[in-house]
Amino acid sequence: MSNLGIEQFPDYQVPGVSHADFSPYESNGGSIVAIAGEDFVVIAADTRLSSGYNIHTRKQSKLFPLSNQTVLASTGCWCDTLSLTGLMKLRMQNYEHTHLKTMTTDAVAQMLSIIMYNRRFFPYYVSNILAGIDKDGKGVVFSYDPIGHCERATYRAGGTAGALLQPVLDNQIGYKNMNLHGEDAPEVTKERAVAVASDTFISAAERDIYTGDSVLINIITKDGIETQELQLRQD
Amino acid sequence: MALAEICKISNASYMKPTAWTSADANEDLKTFSCNLANPYTLAAPPFENPMLNLNQIQANSGKTGIKIDFDHGTTTLGFKYQGGVILAVDSRATGGQYIGSQTMKKIVEINDFLLGTLAGGAADCVYWDRVLSKECRLHELRNKERISVAAASKIMANIAHEYKGMGLSMGMMLAGYDKRGPGLYYVDSEGSRTPGNLFSVGSGSLFAYGVLDSGYRWDLQDKEAQDLGQRAIYHATFRDAYSGGIIRVYHMTPTGWINVSNTDCMELHYKFKSEKEAQ
Amino acid sequence: METLLGIKGPDFVMLAADTTHARSIIVMKEDQNKIHKASDNLLISTTGESGDTEQFTEFISKNIALYKMRNGYDLSPRAAAHFTRKNLADYLRSRTPYQVFMFVAGYDETDGAELAFIDYLANAKSLNHAGHGYGAMFCSSIYDRYWHPNITQDEAYDIFKKCIVEIQKRLVVNLKNFNVSVVDKNGVRNLEPISAQSLTDYNASS
Repeated sequence: MSNLGIEQFPDYQVPGVSHADFSPYESNGGSIVAIAGEDFVVIAADTRLSSGYNIHTRKQSKLFPLSNQTVLASTGCWCDTLSLTGLMKLRMQNYEHTHLKTMTTDAVAQMLSIIMYNRRFFPYYVSNILAGIDKDGKGVVFSYDPIGHCERATYRAGGTAGALLQPVLDNQIGYKNMNLHGEDAPEVTKERAVAVASDTFISAAERDIYTGDSVLINIITKDGIETQELQLRQD
Repeated sequence: MALAEICKISNASYMKPTAWTSADANEDLKTFSCNLANPYTLAAPPFENPMLNLNQIQANSGKTGIKIDFDHGTTTLGFKYQGGVILAVDSRATGGQYIGSQTMKKIVEINDFLLGTLAGGAADCVYWDRVLSKECRLHELRNKERISVAAASKIMANIAHEYKGMGLSMGMMLAGYDKRGPGLYYVDSEGSRTPGNLFSVGSGSLFAYGVLDSGYRWDLQDKEAQDLGQRAIYHATFRDAYSGGIIRVYHMTPTGWINVSNTDCMELHYKFKSEKEAQ
Repeated sequence: METLLGIKGPDFVMLAADTTHARSIIVMKEDQNKIHKASDNLLISTTGESGDTEQFTEFISKNIALYKMRNGYDLSPRAAAHFTRKNLADYLRSRTPYQVFMFVAGYDETDGAELAFIDYLANAKSLNHAGHGYGAMFCSSIYDRYWHPNITQDEAYDIFKKCIVEIQKRLVVNLKNFNVSVVDKNGVRNLEPISAQSLTDYNASS
């Protein structure tokens, strides 16, 4: 053992020797955006997976379809993303087998919140957005904090460029703090939602080193999920 | 593998083939989402003292770039008066410096006669309020009688005390109406629970207390009381950077709660400003 | 910051406790009673970490009540104090220690009056007069000056008045109001609270 150097370090504190801090997390980057409309929802994620200044891959999808009405987008610590989405898939399958029906988006949203809270004292380091069609046929977005606080919204950005993308959405989709002369904000169409989602990623790729390569866009309607891809900067 | 056979280590779990059976899958389902079946069983962390360790991970965020910022809620208030209980809250949720949401619901409707406010960790409050809501419903089914505010708050305090020192962050008020009349309890993650006539909780509570204490009387009229609650939260959103968004006012009456108003604090700002100028 | 006081006489024990409930720099409540009646002849006053105080006091008093149900007679004050101390000591060595400071005060026909001082490390000592908290530091000399073995209830109440005048005069923290309770052969009684208002025309030297 002594050639490994283990015996040289006593377990009590010695001046000049410091214990390495326990750091079980890593940030693998990536951004996600979701926009809900009346009867559809658009959810998009870039495909870059990196660690520090290294890019692991340029084509990793961060969208996880849980049913043909619900898609989960997840970034952060990739290993946590994998275990969380794996668990969600298992749960979905289990539900389908026991109840002979698919879980509704609202139910998935609540379940995800509880499953994330299970790790309250050692959280999943993930940024999650769940998008889908709810039980009334409306498009809906749920966003989460790392320990499972869930909020229903109509549009949302998350991941490393979340703070960069959200204001764009507030302006382009939410029409926040604009003088609309008493009129309601115009309803978002499917085409516009896709266009705005694509634009936010093009912008994010300019300023966030962890976002780039390409964007995968899922458009969810009552008929199922349609997938589009958009190329981004490769640098 | 003969030696392995002799030593009988081939029976050890790590020598078994790694193919994942459906039994394994079921086992994983049970262990990794155990709190779906029993909300009181949360996964144990792989280190001692989660409060210390999570704070350490947070403190190292400068070096590692890993920041786990939970959503936090902020200014809430509640007071009893002759007409029942008023609860008023803001709606801003902040994760560190970032405003995670401007539309959060910080008053949880536990049942028709019980409301909970949340300040501190949003997920903590919402999760345990949901558990409390279940317990209250079970009490109703078992006893053919609604739970008292005292008993409901005691359940919450016992939960908080059970997890004390693990790093939960909650500061909640429970308001309700039962046989004893209006009830208002303050419960926090330290495990303390205390009844009272007037409370304010959260980072903006100092500012809310100022306005509230100056305008509070037991014999306020309903409208006056609702306006006082709204006004106190408005002044907190104005002074406290962590508070803002929509100001929600709830009124607990003998016949259940009423959602009095949900007003954007910008709107109130210009209303109060023009009132001041008109004077 | 919170303060508890206790005086033992020949046939009674009197306790005083401030009534503020503070959280960081905010006073959340001014009418928090910290003197709990544990049984017909037993008082427990508690301060310390919020949450722990309520939870631990309740745990002890319910167990004392259980003892009476099982055996048909009360635990003697000395035994109650010992039981409290033992539990506190056991929790101190567990993963979840209780941080509480308390007085266990009682009167027993055979053993007489008993005032037990218990701190968060489960140090326990039977004393004639004692205090917990910053306020108590101003009181020890007052006790030494005015306490005597044949002290009456009126005299004890007057010592508390002197102590509280001093606390309100010299301690930076504002402790407005004190609840006072006494336990003697007639059981447990609450006395008139001592507050800044009730002391306005009180002359400590008279």
